[in-house]
Amino acid sequence: MEVSSLPISASHRAKLISAGYISISSLSSISPAHLARDLGISENEATGILKVASQRGGPERTIPSHHSIVDGAQTAWDMLHEEESCRRITTSCADLDDILGGGISCKEVTEIGGVPGIGKTQLGIQLAINVQIPLEYGGLAGKAVYIDTEGSFMVERVQQVAEACIKDMQEYDSFLRKDLPARQVNLQANDFLANIYYFRICSYTEQIAVINYLEKFISEHKDIKVVIVDSITFHFRQDFDDMALRTRLLGGMALKLMKLAKKFTLAVILLNQVTTKYSGGSFQLTLALGDSWSHACTNRIILYWNGNGRYAHIDKSPSIRSASAPYAVTGRGIRNLASNCKRVKLILRARLAHDEHICRSLI
Amino acid sequence: MNPAALLQHPLPTRTTKCTTGCPILDSFLHGGIPCNSITEIVAESGCGKTQISLQLLLSAQLPTSLGGLSASSLYLHSEFPFPFRRLRQLALSNPTLQNPLDNILIHPLHSADHLLDLLSRLDPLLVHPPPQTRFPIKLIVIDSIAALFRSEFDNNPSDLKRRSGLFFKISSKLKAQAMRFGLAVVVTNQVTDSVDSSDGLRIGNSWFLYSSGRRVCAALGLSWANCVNTRLFLSRDEENVKDDDGDIVNTRTRTRRFISVVFAPHLPHSSCEFFIAKEGVLGFDSCNDFHLENREL
Repeated sequence: MEVSSLPISASHRAKLISAGYISISSLSSISPAHLARDLGISENEATGILKVASQRGGPERTIPSHHSIVDGAQTAWDMLHEEESCRRITTSCADLDDILGGGISCKEVTEIGGVPGIGKTQLGIQLAINVQIPLEYGGLAGKAVYIDTEGSFMVERVQQVAEACIKDMQEYDSFLRKDLPARQVNLQANDFLANIYYFRICSYTEQIAVINYLEKFISEHKDIKVVIVDSITFHFRQDFDDMALRTRLLGGMALKLMKLAKKFTLAVILLNQVTTKYSGGSFQLTLALGDSWSHACTNRIILYWNGNGRYAHIDKSPSIRSASAPYAVTGRGIRNLASNCKRVKLILRARLAHDEHICRSLI
Repeated sequence: MNPAALLQHPLPTRTTKCTTGCPILDSFLHGGIPCNSITEIVAESGCGKTQISLQLLLSAQLPTSLGGLSASSLYLHSEFPFPFRRLRQLALSNPTLQNPLDNILIHPLHSADHLLDLLSRLDPLLVHPPPQTRFPIKLIVIDSIAALFRSEFDNNPSDLKRRSGLFFKISSKLKAQAMRFGLAVVVTNQVTDSVDSSDGLRIGNSWFLYSSGRRVCAALGLSWANCVNTRLFLSRDEENVKDDDGDIVNTRTRTRRFISVVFAPHLPHSSCEFFIAKEGVLGFDSCNDFHLENREL
């Protein structure tokens, strides 16, 4: 499409053409400041021109805010708003939520690793349940994709965690909404199970195929808000004759998952195993898949034993401070190490206040 | 391969489990040994790993209404000789089963590569079980996995890496077949003495495992621990018992055996006492204290 057909003033049109902007597509990736400099006009006028150009460019082009016309780019202000309004998935452990800044964030890839028996699968199951918590209880009312590579997903355990979640919601109702009309939690454990899309894979080729398939699957099931892979490592720890192939496959997988997280605004959680690395004269525990994989994830949480308690440590995160918090694996799922009713009430009240604050600031 | 076919939706409402033949042990295991995953039994020799394995070969043949799998079993053993007499004794104490020994396939294992080779040739046997067995195979027992790896690997990094690669290959194959055919897989493992060190690696529900008064840990290390879904630990302890018989006080030792959960996706940290009798391995709760003396083998 031609610049000459745009409904702008003749002088602007002439300046555009003499500066070399002949077609509308040449205006598609330029900022107003740059255009203003090129044409020798004010930034407001440049913004006006670009607005007209993008409107003409096609019906599918939308302007996210009056500041950014550039396709796909956002201003930091928009991103801040988005981040604040982006709900987080609670882990059901108040201490863990605290160090995570409220819970597992959507739009990011989080890797969680630890020794066998520390609670990785338990945390995965808890998140697959918690993503389904209805909006009125502070949840995301979403669905989960659970990719099981090891066979640790036991339905009876998921039912147990789901029933405990329902009980928590009923408690929330009876303690915090006493003054409001009684509301029934019309959810059963089986409803929670039905909202988990479970893939069981048995080889690395199946793993790659499913991850490639997820884009299509999630675009057909838009309410999926979390993808959990348990574990990402297992099928890649066999002897690969060609290690370069393994690195390429892992890199491709990581990229795909990051794209998924960004495109559909969902949380991607990768559970990883640990192995020992010989460094500095001693054996140290490190997450499996090597150094190149450690760049693949946005956030990294390490689960470990300290004394008789389980701890989670934020090992890598661009936005959260490095910290540790204790948690427990109970019959009801992941919970606070020293949990008591009063604490739960306080946390829920705090969350409610936080959500109200967010709503108010967006108006 | 169609990725959409890998989706299991809706999920089944319960996992199939194989009874152990004892209601107390079943309740400890929340139903029994689960299918579609690998359950590992770790113990030092003489604690009862083989006893429990033999018992499972028989209880798998029970009908599903009694908690069994209505299935034949495959027993791969790396330790010799195979305890035929004990198996026959166990079979005789279970009169409800018809010709149970016909439904048990036994194969010796010589090395890890032998096991891998066998697993890759196993599919036809799982699809069409041999004619003398009445049921399809739904239980595989490997007794023990440790014996396959203890001799041919040295303690240098490249051998350990090769060994680790084999663990994942074997586990991956077993799990794939367990998934495809709905098998329960039980693997037994040995223990090694745990060196007294402050920076020991904790795997599972307790810092250290104790058996016969010694601190032990499961053999084959961290890599293999990543390959199994459930790990159960059998231990034994000698206890001094004082018998007050009027004027005479006798002290003697009594063997106490415990089974506990080291890690499992569906079981809480718990332990249960058991004893080994003529009829097999039986769980034991404290109210039956006075029966224990007479029953112990």
